[in-house]
Amino acid sequence: MTPHTPLALITSYSFVLAVALVGILAITLRLLALFPSRRLPPPKRRIGTPTRLLIVLGSGGHTAEMLGALHGLDPRKYTHRTYVISSGDVFSTEKAAEFERSLELKDATKRLDQLIDMNEQMQERTGTGSYDIAIVPRARRIHQSLLSTPLSALRCLWACFNILMAPSNTTTVSLAGRWRAELYDYPDLIVTNGPATAVIVILASLILRFFDIKGANSRGKMRTIYVESWARVKRLSLSGRLLVRIVDRFLVQWERLQGVGERGEYLGVFAR
Amino acid sequence: MSVDEKKQLRLCFVTIGATAAFNSLISACLEPRFLESLSGAGYTNLLIQYGKEGKAIFDKITSEIKTTKKMELVITGFDFNHSGLDKEMGAAKGGPNDLQGVVISHAGSGSILHALRISVPIIVVPNPDLLDNHQVELAEELESQGYVVHGKLNNLPAAILESEELRKRSLGWPPVNSGRHGRAADLAGVMDEEMGFLD
Repeated sequence: MTPHTPLALITSYSFVLAVALVGILAITLRLLALFPSRRLPPPKRRIGTPTRLLIVLGSGGHTAEMLGALHGLDPRKYTHRTYVISSGDVFSTEKAAEFERSLELKDATKRLDQLIDMNEQMQERTGTGSYDIAIVPRARRIHQSLLSTPLSALRCLWACFNILMAPSNTTTVSLAGRWRAELYDYPDLIVTNGPATAVIVILASLILRFFDIKGANSRGKMRTIYVESWARVKRLSLSGRLLVRIVDRFLVQWERLQGVGERGEYLGVFAR
Repeated sequence: MSVDEKKQLRLCFVTIGATAAFNSLISACLEPRFLESLSGAGYTNLLIQYGKEGKAIFDKITSEIKTTKKMELVITGFDFNHSGLDKEMGAAKGGPNDLQGVVISHAGSGSILHALRISVPIIVVPNPDLLDNHQVELAEELESQGYVVHGKLNNLPAAILESEELRKRSLGWPPVNSGRHGRAADLAGVMDEEMGFLD
């Protein structure tokens, strides 16, 4: 027979169950509110508005494909770029720096053309803005023991929070001399094509939006575009399967993946 | 091992990528039957990017080749280049005074796209040792669309012959009318939609 003392009441099975149910319901409703279908459409934005773009790069093929797909990136719109790279990935670091040099070169050529062709109205010189390269520890190294994996995954998640909070003051390269740290906090847009790190970055952004820390959700920050790798012809990658219902846009590059997970959008091949 | 000064350079460049070992491709590309088919097709050079773990097998086989037979083919190798393979891919494509060569690649998307971009024929050989082998699907699909030769480890000489057919076809990349409204697809456009940059 259960005694009806207050302590016994709150430790009773049915009470714990009720609290758990209410908790789960609240969390579910909150998560549903974060999902892409409930997200407000983006407000109109003018060129020159400080806009932080976060690009998650992965090893080898992922990086080459991502930067190739971004060939049309306009640095006057995306005024600060953060490249997220796994520690030890020298290839991606070099490719990101090379990509930034190509943006600068394109900008310089454009301005030179305007100088030569004096008939054309000189555009306001906004330049190519700024960028930083953020290194995250790997969630799991190859051959790492399973025991220590949760710890290193947590360390990776923690690094992702810091990267999302603000661009790094120390590694930011300012190309037009207009860099002011206070212009930027959370990324406005996250773009990735699905290396493992991308799952952790997007998980971190979801946690920040869940608790609406510093207005992560209410200010409409961290919209996400996932581009499934061109190498995926018939089935999604693991990252793709994990993120298909979470990201704001889910793009596929093969027609037969159109509508996959009820989300896949085929708009053609981005890889080049 | 001197190449005749007047003889034009023709390079077969083999790349196994940066991530996984692919020793079976290295040994398949050093088989006598394959080397003969390269010579027969007029190739002068074979360059193999063998990866971190491929040096032992590359050194072992090439030393045996040199002792048994005088090769007409110049065979060289290197492990990996952090700054990319632009130079090697370009050399396979060939300069204005060279003959066009060929690339043989593990089915990594980076190397395939690179070859399509500079339009050098590519033979794609998926690694059968990888667990989730979506690369086979990519190779099959691209071959059915006429962009690559899907090579098999046990029959690379046939792939060299097929690559000549590929060279004649030479489809452009990216597909010009693959995107919306028949234009090339553009990720920047989708990003602008998400950000509200609407002109």
